[in-house]
Amino acid sequence: MKIYINGVILELPNASKQSYIDQVLTNVLPINKQQQSFALALNGEFIGREDYQHTVVKDNDSIDVLFPIVGG
Amino acid sequence: MSLNIYGQTLNSRLLIGSALYPSPEIMQQAILASGSQVVTLSLKRQNPLARSGEKIWRYIQETVAQNQGFLLPNTAGCKSAKEAITLAKMSRELFQTDWIKLEVIGDDYNLQPDPIELLIATEQLLADGFKILPYCTDDLVICQRLYALGCQVIMPWASPIGTGKGLMNPYNLTSIRQRLPEATLILDAGIGKPSDACIAMEMGFDGVLLNSAIALADNPVLMAKAFSSAISAGESAYIAGTMPERQTAHPSTPTLDTPFWHQPEHS
Repeated sequence: MKIYINGVILELPNASKQSYIDQVLTNVLPINKQQQSFALALNGEFIGREDYQHTVVKDNDSIDVLFPIVGG
Repeated sequence: MSLNIYGQTLNSRLLIGSALYPSPEIMQQAILASGSQVVTLSLKRQNPLARSGEKIWRYIQETVAQNQGFLLPNTAGCKSAKEAITLAKMSRELFQTDWIKLEVIGDDYNLQPDPIELLIATEQLLADGFKILPYCTDDLVICQRLYALGCQVIMPWASPIGTGKGLMNPYNLTSIRQRLPEATLILDAGIGKPSDACIAMEMGFDGVLLNSAIALADNPVLMAKAFSSAISAGESAYIAGTMPERQTAHPSTPTLDTPFWHQPEHS
């Protein structure tokens, strides 16, 4: 399955044609990163943490993983 | 005097940004020196495998905790209501706050807020329980619309973000103050000098939000103190009530019993 993480194409060879968000995250984030502060959007829509385990990611979907930064 | 933002009482009327400082350490020192209890920050894409953002996030958390303050996430970089709404929801989850500095940019040249998208986003986010601090231009009618929708706090710009040009249109800002006496008005963006902040407070603004003017100073920590003093001075002046401006000179020294050599000659 091919998805976009923060605009970058990522091939997930072991994934089926659809996976859940928490399964995808195990492929893109080390375990210690999964415990850290980030928020996620799927195809431009916010997905809450409680929904990671039952939100389906399909081929060509786009995931944004955002982290805190400084701001004015 | 304290400032009330959506039911939270704050000891400082300065809201401060966390960007552009020479180092995280100076950012922390400057924010603490300012006395500000509201610190803005943002969310951005980063390489998930990089660790670059963790240190600064820890600094911001520590600093806000030391000042017993609050995080104010922004929606910087959003160009549509849809983008801003998504980012606001992400911020609420991550930062555990329903406060959002709502920015929707309409023009890349001067980063002017898009009033139409801003109103759309405001309406939807208010319905979703957010407490919105909208960043807008100094257009009176837009400010009135935002207030009518339910924004208790309105944040018109002084001038475009990062320009340091100060108050471009004092007439507009004064009009907003006069027409929205119950709104909490925070002057946001474009402030260059402490005197700009002081003037805004003398006009009756409730607070000032700024970043570049402190972060880009030669000495950000000292400048943070200068802004804190200027805002206090402006607030005191507003409460004290400034004298009316007059067109003609009036002697301040009593004229009664003026010495004889100043008396008109008698014929």
